[in-house]
Amino acid sequence: MSNILVFFLHGLAYAGLLFLVSSGLTLVFGMMNVLNFAHAALYMLGAYFSYTVLNTTGQFWLSLIVCPLALFIIGAFIERFLLRRVHIFGHLHELLLTFGLAYIITETVKWLWGNYPLAVNIGGYLDGTIELFGLAYPIYRIFIFVWGVLVSLAMALILFKTRLGIILRAAVNDNEMVNALGINVPLLFTGVFAFGAALSGFAGVIAGPLLSTYPGMAQEILVDAFVVIVVGGFGSLGGALIASLLIGELQSFGVLLFPKLSLVLIYLLMSIVLVIKPSGLFGEKQ
Amino acid sequence: MTRKSYISVVSIFLVCALLPFVLRRYQLNMLTEIIIFALYAVSYNILLGYAGLLSFGHAMFFGLGAFTAAISIIHISHLSVWSCLLIAMGATTIVGFAIGSLLLRLKGAYFALLTLAFNSLFYAVATKWHSVTGGDDGLSIKRPVVNLGFTLLKINTVTAFYYLTFVIIGLVIVFCWYFTHTAMGQTVVLMRENEDRMKFLGYDTSLSRLILFTFTGAIAGLAGAFYTLHFQFVSVSAISLDMATAVLLITFVGGTGTFWGPILGSFVYIILQNYLSDITDRWPLFMGFIFILMVLFIPGGLSKMILTAKGYLFERQEMGKAMEGENS
Repeated sequence: MSNILVFFLHGLAYAGLLFLVSSGLTLVFGMMNVLNFAHAALYMLGAYFSYTVLNTTGQFWLSLIVCPLALFIIGAFIERFLLRRVHIFGHLHELLLTFGLAYIITETVKWLWGNYPLAVNIGGYLDGTIELFGLAYPIYRIFIFVWGVLVSLAMALILFKTRLGIILRAAVNDNEMVNALGINVPLLFTGVFAFGAALSGFAGVIAGPLLSTYPGMAQEILVDAFVVIVVGGFGSLGGALIASLLIGELQSFGVLLFPKLSLVLIYLLMSIVLVIKPSGLFGEKQ
Repeated sequence: MTRKSYISVVSIFLVCALLPFVLRRYQLNMLTEIIIFALYAVSYNILLGYAGLLSFGHAMFFGLGAFTAAISIIHISHLSVWSCLLIAMGATTIVGFAIGSLLLRLKGAYFALLTLAFNSLFYAVATKWHSVTGGDDGLSIKRPVVNLGFTLLKINTVTAFYYLTFVIIGLVIVFCWYFTHTAMGQTVVLMRENEDRMKFLGYDTSLSRLILFTFTGAIAGLAGAFYTLHFQFVSVSAISLDMATAVLLITFVGGTGTFWGPILGSFVYIILQNYLSDITDRWPLFMGFIFILMVLFIPGGLSKMILTAKGYLFERQEMGKAMEGENS
């Protein structure tokens, strides 16, 4: 029984992380119609920045603020000076550009930090365990899940309760019309892309202590995040939330129940969803 | 096909046939690799350049062909090269049809994303299924003897294997070129431009796309089988995401607008890779920068550049003709 609880909590932690990564991805996709292949590379960059910040200052909370900010600036730069240039050539070129960026970022990371895993120690009370139903559980995993919940609540609040949210949702539907109504859509795009980058950087900082920091971490989470988006429905935040929980738990219990098949399980889920509903659980029909 | 292009194809064949007398061993090895990757890229270009389908999963066919070839050579004694290649193509045809009917339900970025996910699935299976694929250790094989009907040809020397590769792959590439000129190949190009109109004209566009996807998968599988024969070894890297993106790089650098662009891309990519990796460990970084610069400034690739330069050097008219014939 306690075993099941532990795996359930593990699944929640991974779901929290998955949501942090895939929400930014799905937001950018929904708004700009750009499938950002560099998203996971930015996430990795966040993890490496955090490693460096932790090594020099030892302040985890500091890196939780500084690294997303750095990624925000990088994201804004990418959108303003690179993506916008190829926008006229169509989606294929935007996709290829982000793919090239992912390639360069991965290679740069290997070059600067080395092609091996780096252990990240946060220290302090976050490193400890907590009594939960009579068993000691690492606080950090709960911390991750809490962040996932907080971010999803904050995004829901912004999207549905503020003026900015109304503009964003309108732009998802028809950005040309929104532009015609006098809203600076190009600026909005830069903001959204930068926010997505910051979110992925934030996820990277959080992932570092859990999964350790290594050059393959981008590709690993990228595929999982893509599966989340496919299952949840393209561009749907609610779908991303549900799919994150589903995939997180499936990963976790897959290891417990079918250790050999655990890797294949999520693809199986994806294939089933695709056969039944090609647009994903909460996706609109294309 | 004009008379001029017949002459150029024949002369390329002649030059390639004479090259073993000129080149050194390692250069000939490199050329064999170039030819194999050229076929891989040509098959990918039919998907990307002709049908407009961006796939991040072409390595699942390449790798499947490579592994099928290796496994069949190991487990079936006295297997001829021909059956080995046919088995590899057969397996990729079946899998291509099955996967295609699932993936082609989506288009554009969605399709791209799904191919990536399925490639990861294949990679995961290849890594985990240790008893069959050898997992991370890979599989080593010996090249079988080629039965030419009247005589047995040993292909364990660099030169002999080069000739086998160059003749068979050369013929297959010519066949691919022919395929793009058939009604089927043209249908796909027209579908890319205006699918609704093709549907209206009574074409079953989903079926055409599925056939094309299966065809390119089978060709990539053949390239994969040659990859195994060439290195006499196959590991999970053949089915990895890196292999899937390498072909995108090759095709894009060569240019998707022409049939021969990817072949040129393969030359440039393999030679660059060999020389850059001699000079620096950071060659993937350079490749990444080259790729980004091309996306930003030369979206048509090298072949487009050559056609444009040709137009400036010779007559303006010729450029017009070249542009017209670009996708045909």
